[in-house]
Amino acid sequence: MILIHRKKILTCLTTMLCLVLFSGPVLALDVQSLIREIEQQYMGASSQAKTTMQVRTANWERTLEMEAWSLGRDYFLIRILEPAKERDVATLKRNREVWNYLPKVDRVIKVPPSMMGGSWMGSHITNDDLVKANHIDEEYQLRLLEESATHFVVECLPKPEAAVVWGKIIYRVRKQPQVPEQVDYYDEEMVRVREIHFDQIHQIGDRIVPLRLTVLPLEKPGETTIFHYRELVYDLPLEESFFSLRNLKQP
Amino acid sequence: MLLTLAYRNLWRNQRRTLLTLSAMVVSAALLILALGVFSGMFKDMLASATEQYYGHLVLAQPGYHLRRDLFASLPAELVDLPALRDAPEISGRSPRLRSFGLLSRRDTSQPVELLGIIPELEQQVTSLQHELTAGRYPAAEDLNAALIGQGLAHKLKVQPGDELVFVTQAADGSIGNDLLVVSGIFATGDSRHDNNLVLAPLPWLQQVLVQPGRIHEVAMRVNDPMNAAQVASRLTPLLPDHLKLLDWGILLPEMREVIAAYDVSRMIIVTILYLATGLGILNTFFMSVMERTREFGILMAQGMRPWAIRGLVLLETLLLGSIALTVGLLCGALMTLYMQQVGIDLAGYITPVTYAGGTILPRLHAVFEPGNFAVPAGMLLLVSLFAGFLPANRAARLNPVAAVRED
Repeated sequence: MILIHRKKILTCLTTMLCLVLFSGPVLALDVQSLIREIEQQYMGASSQAKTTMQVRTANWERTLEMEAWSLGRDYFLIRILEPAKERDVATLKRNREVWNYLPKVDRVIKVPPSMMGGSWMGSHITNDDLVKANHIDEEYQLRLLEESATHFVVECLPKPEAAVVWGKIIYRVRKQPQVPEQVDYYDEEMVRVREIHFDQIHQIGDRIVPLRLTVLPLEKPGETTIFHYRELVYDLPLEESFFSLRNLKQP
Repeated sequence: MLLTLAYRNLWRNQRRTLLTLSAMVVSAALLILALGVFSGMFKDMLASATEQYYGHLVLAQPGYHLRRDLFASLPAELVDLPALRDAPEISGRSPRLRSFGLLSRRDTSQPVELLGIIPELEQQVTSLQHELTAGRYPAAEDLNAALIGQGLAHKLKVQPGDELVFVTQAADGSIGNDLLVVSGIFATGDSRHDNNLVLAPLPWLQQVLVQPGRIHEVAMRVNDPMNAAQVASRLTPLLPDHLKLLDWGILLPEMREVIAAYDVSRMIIVTILYLATGLGILNTFFMSVMERTREFGILMAQGMRPWAIRGLVLLETLLLGSIALTVGLLCGALMTLYMQQVGIDLAGYITPVTYAGGTILPRLHAVFEPGNFAVPAGMLLLVSLFAGFLPANRAARLNPVAAVRED
């Protein structure tokens, strides 16, 4: 009796394992790693970058020079170099928390959950974007929407239980070389509210990445945020301890 | 002659007249008290919204009160605009700059609304200086003193003297940030203000927001808040076209509707109560007319005209109404006065209720308002006349021959 029972359970388990391993995910796997790679194209296993951020709004326009470091998905540090007035203002992301350092008052401030949707450094990306962009492949159901000779189009719909900001995300990815061209963000009413365009494709080490990224908030016509990667180095020997609150304060 | 007759007639059945009279007095007096307490409640509500935050009148760019747009700023000199300075109804003017941002201490941060103010001017418009639970109101010479709500102080775990960091986006796109020192803590009972509001010096906020010499609004106090809309429409033609002067009725439309609804419900309460009183009067006078059928017959037989009979009965009811009115108003005024001076504190039983943009404080407290006396008084006289009309008509239509023969 017991033996038979065991056998049954075993068969059952094996079948389930087979199902999990070989059936569903076979197709999805490609798309998932594709999106993950795109979201981490500037990070790799670890990275260091110098970036110019140009923000244009209806009321003001400004340019920031920044230096950024990253380690895996979870650690990210970015520090302002120019203009002088804001030099050393820095942001640290550890896992899902975001901290800002303000040299003028010499304080580190954790961004509370209620402010995660707020603008980051006055740009058109939010604190949430910093935290969640890396997890799109985990929190969204990905599906290959279209495939042409030159492009993939991937649709991302939030998983039912995921606490996410967007109602839908569409990636348009070039096949050769494999780089993103455009990402469209839709709100919960399925209205397209933001576009990110990528251009200036360059080879950095063994990677090919677009060095310029333009964010267009569609509900604010005429406003843009442009990130321009001027220096980008991958696979540096960075430790987790580098991304500490203490290091956030010490340039 | 008729008046003397009417007065004497009233007291022929003393017990009945006194009973009716007491019913009228009690209903009028209680009504006046109840309306006074209602008015007190609404006044508290209005004061909580206007005198703790908005002000009665606000001058700003059109739409500023809806969008709170950082860039809709104005020159600070507007506060001394001659039209506003010379208006006799305006008793206080306060220039304000507003910012929404993050207030933090150590690891705790809270989103807040920060008003940049000039302490001595702001105190002429709002009355947070009377709601302090700790510390003191920022003084003119303080550079970065902050007055914060009790709920906020509790969440950030701060006492007067503690340092806070305020972070927001400045008008040039940079991250505006600077230190504040808590000078005082206020508690209004309105959770939105207690958990959210911070007052800091205007020059300090102008520097943080990179908005030197700019303000968002001029908040004003007027002598009679109920008159704010009229003051606004009188002053509007005297002001520059690109500015908008709003009264609290526009800033707080729910509050205006609650008060308008109050005027209607006051009439309904008065009507219901007086309907009962009116039936009592009607009963009294029918009885008294029936009893005097023979007497009326004799008066008519002697040549008294029917209109005089009708007038006599009406005069009796009117007289009764007037006596009730005088005593009722007096009692009502005395009770209202007591509730105004002493009141009843309910803080032990209920907590403040926030409703229609204002806060109802846990107390029963009355105010004097002319309408609360005029409406019950006028209605009482009207009800007396109506209640007297039917018996008077009956008396006037009597056939003298039949009436004299009646037992």
